[in-house]
Amino acid sequence: MATFRLHSGKVLAVDLTGDAVTARNGSMVAYDGRMTFKRLTGGGEGLRGVVTRRLTGEQMTVMEVRGEGTCWFADRASEINLVRLTGDTLYVEADSLLAADAGLRTGTTFTGLRGASQGNGLFTTTVRGHGQAAILSDGPAVVLRVAPHAPLVVDPGAYVAHQGSLRQSFQSGATFRTLIGEGGGEAVQIRFEGDGLVYVQPSERTTVAGDV
Amino acid sequence: MNGPVVYDPVTLPADDNVDPYTFCVELSGTRWFLQKGKMIAYYGSIAFDGVGHGRLDRLVRTSFHSPLHAADWVVAEGSGKMLLADRAFDVNSYDLDDGNLTIRSGNLLAFQPSLSLKQSIVPGFVTLIGTGTFVAASNGPVVFMELPLRVDPQALVGWADCPSPCHHYDHGYLTGVLGGVRALTGIGGPSGEEHQFEFVGAGTVLLQSSEALMPEQPTGAAPDEPGVPGPAATSGDRGPQGGVPRLPGQLGDLQRRFGL
Repeated sequence: MATFRLHSGKVLAVDLTGDAVTARNGSMVAYDGRMTFKRLTGGGEGLRGVVTRRLTGEQMTVMEVRGEGTCWFADRASEINLVRLTGDTLYVEADSLLAADAGLRTGTTFTGLRGASQGNGLFTTTVRGHGQAAILSDGPAVVLRVAPHAPLVVDPGAYVAHQGSLRQSFQSGATFRTLIGEGGGEAVQIRFEGDGLVYVQPSERTTVAGDV
Repeated sequence: MNGPVVYDPVTLPADDNVDPYTFCVELSGTRWFLQKGKMIAYYGSIAFDGVGHGRLDRLVRTSFHSPLHAADWVVAEGSGKMLLADRAFDVNSYDLDDGNLTIRSGNLLAFQPSLSLKQSIVPGFVTLIGTGTFVAASNGPVVFMELPLRVDPQALVGWADCPSPCHHYDHGYLTGVLGGVRALTGIGGPSGEEHQFEFVGAGTVLLQSSEALMPEQPTGAAPDEPGVPGPAATSGDRGPQGGVPRLPGQLGDLQRRFGL
């Protein structure tokens, strides 16, 4: 199985011994040993992937990197966070997924209002199985545990990914004051309940509800 | 390989940094002021309200003193732990003990209500007075410098305990025969450091370790009356480097100032 490690916060090193990883197209910055890079259409999910990704707008151009040696990946000096999956599912936007073990299965799923509140569309990418994945964030992500007695509320602009069995609901902090432009600045929030981890970045993307 | 550190409500630090870019505030029925939209996540039950409305109206009087810029601030109220961050900039908390600190308005992220926030006479800056904790963001870690000192305008974050901030120009470099030749031909050219801020007296100056300015927050216009410094109308692009980039050898406003 490919071994992921962070070379620095912004460069991912993957040690390969004849096995493969899928990574965002063009994110390789260096490698040693022997590597082959193969463009995968439709996120490597076959014809079904091509169709669903086209339909859902959750497009992902990835490549398969196979070989022996070490391959380094980076993307626009974004911070990289490692995620280890042990049979559970990681939900992440296709834009934030840098690389995943080839043994992991990726797919798309419906997110509902959370995606809409972030302006990312109604669908998100899922990664499930056993292995490691690397996700991108603006600034190192803080990993927050959600437990049954400790629900978590997240700003949609700072949300990066989550894993585990979590229920998300849409929570509004908007009052009549928001309508007159004097709101609390946190009109849209996502509430996570259940058991799992949420990755939050120390920066807010501009969202639909960014300034209300 | 160890996985990343996973935080839960118990292991999150109280009123301390989680990492250099994220600050955790613990609320237990207390209040904090924060800039709009800087909360990234929270545990517990916390409500966010615009300052200056209904029952919070009194806060404007006690903590803001000026209704002019209160609309950009939010009161977080409730109990739980709240994470603050600002565009992946470095954040740090500072304690004031019956002191005062003037800070660039865009750098101030959050503060305790025991501090009071006032507009500074210096345009684009705000002053915090009293005892309490505040959180400031900076582009790169903050350095504390002793006086007397001259600093680059873009690196200045703020100053504490009342030194005297004033402009300083390298007059010698710009005048005389050589200065004139430089200005006319562009040979040699300005070094880009002819203008500094000078601080003398007692106190501390806070610098950020980069010259990338943080976007300015509106501080509210100063009352437009005689004797009040700063053009009442304009805010934003201020400072000698503001606006269009200058060509090499072209000194812009400085030229006029020195009659070149």
